[in-house]
Amino acid sequence: MALRELNFTFTPEDPRPFPVGWSHRGVVGSGDMEVMFEQRDLGGDVQIKVCTPVVGFDEVWERVLDRFVRESQVSDAVIEINDNNATPVVVSMRMRQAIEEARKEAE
Amino acid sequence: MIDWKELEAKSFYGASARERARGIVDEGTFTELAGPADRMSSPHLPVLGEAVEWDDGCVTGVGLIGKHPVFVISQEGRFIGGAVGEVHGAKMVGTFVLARQMYERIKEEYPDELAERLPAVVISFETGGVRLHEANAGLLAHAEVMDQIQETKGKFPVISLIGSKVGCFGGMGFVAAATDVIVMSDLGRLGLTGPEVIEQEMGKDEFDSADRSLVYRTTGGKHKYIMRDANYLVEDTLGDFHDQLAAIMEAPYDEIVKCRRIGSEELVDEQLALAELSVEMAPKDARDVWAYFGNEDVEQIPEMTTAEFLAVAQRR
Repeated sequence: MALRELNFTFTPEDPRPFPVGWSHRGVVGSGDMEVMFEQRDLGGDVQIKVCTPVVGFDEVWERVLDRFVRESQVSDAVIEINDNNATPVVVSMRMRQAIEEARKEAE
Repeated sequence: MIDWKELEAKSFYGASARERARGIVDEGTFTELAGPADRMSSPHLPVLGEAVEWDDGCVTGVGLIGKHPVFVISQEGRFIGGAVGEVHGAKMVGTFVLARQMYERIKEEYPDELAERLPAVVISFETGGVRLHEANAGLLAHAEVMDQIQETKGKFPVISLIGSKVGCFGGMGFVAAATDVIVMSDLGRLGLTGPEVIEQEMGKDEFDSADRSLVYRTTGGKHKYIMRDANYLVEDTLGDFHDQLAAIMEAPYDEIVKCRRIGSEELVDEQLALAELSVEMAPKDARDVWAYFGNEDVEQIPEMTTAEFLAVAQRR
């Protein structure tokens, strides 16, 4: 079965624009993922694209990513994920690490 | 981003390809080329439903060691075992091409300083060889890299670093053997057919791949150092590999290439004599070979720290 692409758009309530041009974290090991954040003027929205071999967990992805956006309030970024069967816990952790490091870098 | 001191103290064995690429050249000098932002992932994996990585498991770029431009290729074992596919291989080849262009430019612009500005290609291997999902392209990539290594002869050194989790096996074992210098750590493993494959083909009696001690005695850094397959054995930190590279680059090119294992008639004779010796000796274990070359307490060798081992090791 071919790789699948999932696309989501979220609108954080209290948008905090992504602070650097781009940022990349992670390695696509088994049960892991890499993520790329790119600054883009989306009028307060955030777009997330997931590339994954996993079938049947689209809703879980949406919930995990929605929660990430609500917690971080990240906006005006295109986020891309290359997933290799990462669990929701790993996904949340990698996303948090990435945004924290990008915000630290911008300070 | 972890700071420089932390990076240099980090275990080479556990470091990611990107950390290794940054840590083996001088502080802050590494620039990644064809990195994740360029999104050069495999065109073959998506149709097979296999996860892709934007760097295709191969970090490439350039840094400095002293005045030497060092072109780095660093393989990521966590992504499909560091296996070489089409893009991964093309990035390796591209790095050699850049190094050669740099060599020609330095020769033209700084003809009197060629020695101190001599470039190098450094490959941090972590791979099992060909990526079976794109086997033909992967095989071709091996041949092309071999070709590129030949193109560097008489110009600038190609140096292998082996100390990562997956080791260096399969076709890339050949590639490493064809480079000018091999630096390993105790934890590095180098071979052609990997332990699991030997067991699968020849049976558990021939080679038990679950026996870690056996695997390390046969393919590990200490054994390769005794056999002179590895030229240098260093401690397992990025800093130690970096320091060893700097020491190598201080030597003139003619000295560096004395580390080669192949590439001249004398070396071919030497390797053939070794093959003859192995038939004569019919060693049952690597320990027999270590004893043959004059090592005394062979049972203790696997237990020794790198420093203890280097103090007593007798080499071929």
